[in-house]
Amino acid sequence: MEPAVVDAGSGILKFNHALPEYGPEVIPTQMKQVPEDESSTDASLLENVIVDPVVRGFIRDWDAMEDLLSHILYTGFFASEQAVLSLYAVGRISGCTVDIGHGKMDIASVIEGAVQHISSRRFEIGGLDLTNLFAQELRKSNPLVNFSISDVEKLKEQYASCAEDDAAYQKVQQACPEEQHTLPDGQVIKIGRERYTVGEALFQPSILGLELHGIVEQLVRCISTVSSENHRQLLENTVLCGGSASMTGFEDRFQKEASLSSSAIRPCLVKPPEYMPDNLSKYSAWVGGAILAKVVFPQNQHVTKADYDETGPSIVHRKCF
Amino acid sequence: MIQASLSKDEVSAIVVDLGSHTCKAGYAGEDAPKAVFPSVVGSIDQMEIDDADNSDKNSGSAPESKSKGKRKLYVGSQDLGFRRDHMEVLSPTKDGIVVDWDMVENIWDHALRKCLLVDPKEHPMLLAEPCSNTQQQREKSSHLLHQDVPSLVVDCGGGSTTVAPVHDGYVLQKAVATSPIGGEFLTDCLLRSLEHKGISIKPRYAFKRKEIRPGEFQIVDLDFPNTTESYKLYCQRVIVGDIKECVCRAPDTPYDETSYSNIPMTPYELPDGQTIEIGADRFKIPDVLFNPSLAQTIPGMESFVDTASAARGLPQMVIESINKCDVDIRRELFSSILLAGGTASMQQLKERLEKDLLEESPQAARVKVLASGNATERRFSVWIGGSILASLGSFQQMWFSKSDDSYGVADLENSMHSLVERKLA
Repeated sequence: MEPAVVDAGSGILKFNHALPEYGPEVIPTQMKQVPEDESSTDASLLENVIVDPVVRGFIRDWDAMEDLLSHILYTGFFASEQAVLSLYAVGRISGCTVDIGHGKMDIASVIEGAVQHISSRRFEIGGLDLTNLFAQELRKSNPLVNFSISDVEKLKEQYASCAEDDAAYQKVQQACPEEQHTLPDGQVIKIGRERYTVGEALFQPSILGLELHGIVEQLVRCISTVSSENHRQLLENTVLCGGSASMTGFEDRFQKEASLSSSAIRPCLVKPPEYMPDNLSKYSAWVGGAILAKVVFPQNQHVTKADYDETGPSIVHRKCF
Repeated sequence: MIQASLSKDEVSAIVVDLGSHTCKAGYAGEDAPKAVFPSVVGSIDQMEIDDADNSDKNSGSAPESKSKGKRKLYVGSQDLGFRRDHMEVLSPTKDGIVVDWDMVENIWDHALRKCLLVDPKEHPMLLAEPCSNTQQQREKSSHLLHQDVPSLVVDCGGGSTTVAPVHDGYVLQKAVATSPIGGEFLTDCLLRSLEHKGISIKPRYAFKRKEIRPGEFQIVDLDFPNTTESYKLYCQRVIVGDIKECVCRAPDTPYDETSYSNIPMTPYELPDGQTIEIGADRFKIPDVLFNPSLAQTIPGMESFVDTASAARGLPQMVIESINKCDVDIRRELFSSILLAGGTASMQQLKERLEKDLLEESPQAARVKVLASGNATERRFSVWIGGSILASLGSFQQMWFSKSDDSYGVADLENSMHSLVERKLA
């Protein structure tokens, strides 16, 4: 039986059979709850309740999660941490992952397959907050236009960019060429410097109103809490993953900011192997999971239903971590 | 990230060790704490901000009568790592005793709710420290770790060093020796020594690196006039603490200026790119543990003259402690000395202590200092002991719940003492 791999994020659920070269299928994690009373045939009266089973990286609604996962049949189970999987996807067992997801951002150090929890950090900033910021900024410059969040989400994916460096960002804030864009409903909007504001927010979280250092500074601080003998391993194997990491100019800006830190702790991004699909950073945890699945399941190291029935939930801690 | 949750039947205990320097928290049964963060908190006195605003607006009028000071606390490395105007760095303990229970509650809350993501009401909690009254936890954990062999625990922590003999599951209280010389004291010695040599330790918030031409970098100083001295010192201590951990090692023989004057220098790169050279200090600073009066020779440490002169060195504390114990167990204590705590992971400390004790101890005694080879285990020994303890079936029966005794937070210290005594009796 072919193993399946599931990566449930706050925004999208990635799943497929364990075929690393093909990448996952994606569906939004958010679901609409249809009320049980189906007697009413008037569609407009049906209230659609939005259900978010995964919020900011944590599963909050286990019933909804169960429903979601029941769409995918499986006979065995294995769990692993996203940071470790993202590293497997680029062929490493040690390194640092910077995972910018929909609901949260994780900086994790992994040494020989073990996550160093003490030096890992998570932040409640993600693609969701960037979308909201973009919406806020666009509304200011296009006061007469009606935006829906899903529109803004698509606009963000198309237009959001990172300025080359701090100085370039300041320049863009003064003067930026504007582009016109037509929304699906026909409204025309202008997009100018807002696209760079969104890109800058990860490097200057004060834009989002948060008292936090920028992403590279956070990475440097995380690594400095690990014992110095491991620094090189972590710095030379830094991986960016998550949807927001594929923003235009993000990687270059990241490298630029990294070059500004002292040479003792200067992160260096890993180049993914050539046989991997192009959009690897979006799905690296899933791809890593697929690679792991090919190793774990044939060797029967996974948790089977029989195991679970016998031992209970604690079996996960024993067999998986 | 998918979080595995335990079924309602299996509730694991939480173990919290609030040291004077670092707080360690995690789940019982695990081999290391999941949450490790500073024991100090950032505090912004809300009244100060109001007064500052008022004085700007109405410079002539008298200030309003001060209501009970409200303050905002910032706990954890992330929050402490961010510079804020008027934020002071404060400690909930003074000389090993808790002086601010509100702060302690905030720290526990951060550990449980933010780091471990648990609701304290759902889990039994084992607390170790902050005050020496709760030695019971430590004695029990040492006991279980070492199965009835009398042993001497030497805990070299951040804020202090404690030497405690443990026998038959109990700490021999009369023989406990403590000294205020701990890792933090050593860090301060190093900081003053470097400053005296003209090296300025720039806190991370005080500068920015700019690329002025492709490939050419320059450090630009940033000025934040409303930064408190305590915050500046906190940031400097973090940097110097790292220098200490990287370059310092205990010398094989007692330090003296002349023999170490030609020591080759070791380089260290500061966060602002400045490379400094450290020579004799590499060995002088750790030797303060063995000879506290050395601290008096460091310019800038004069205010600690009283502390340093009263304090005994590590080998003296060990001998003093053992000599207060029953003659019968002294030999066993010498051969079972356990090194624990962050400062215990200093290079060559174990070897030097063994050597000094061999010279000072009675001819017949065999001296053996035991320390986990793993630096992480030494740093978290007390926590690990608690983790083992709290996961044992026999200990589970000893949990006391709030219904056992009603106590206010201020009475926690005394209540815990009497409750634990009752349970152990």
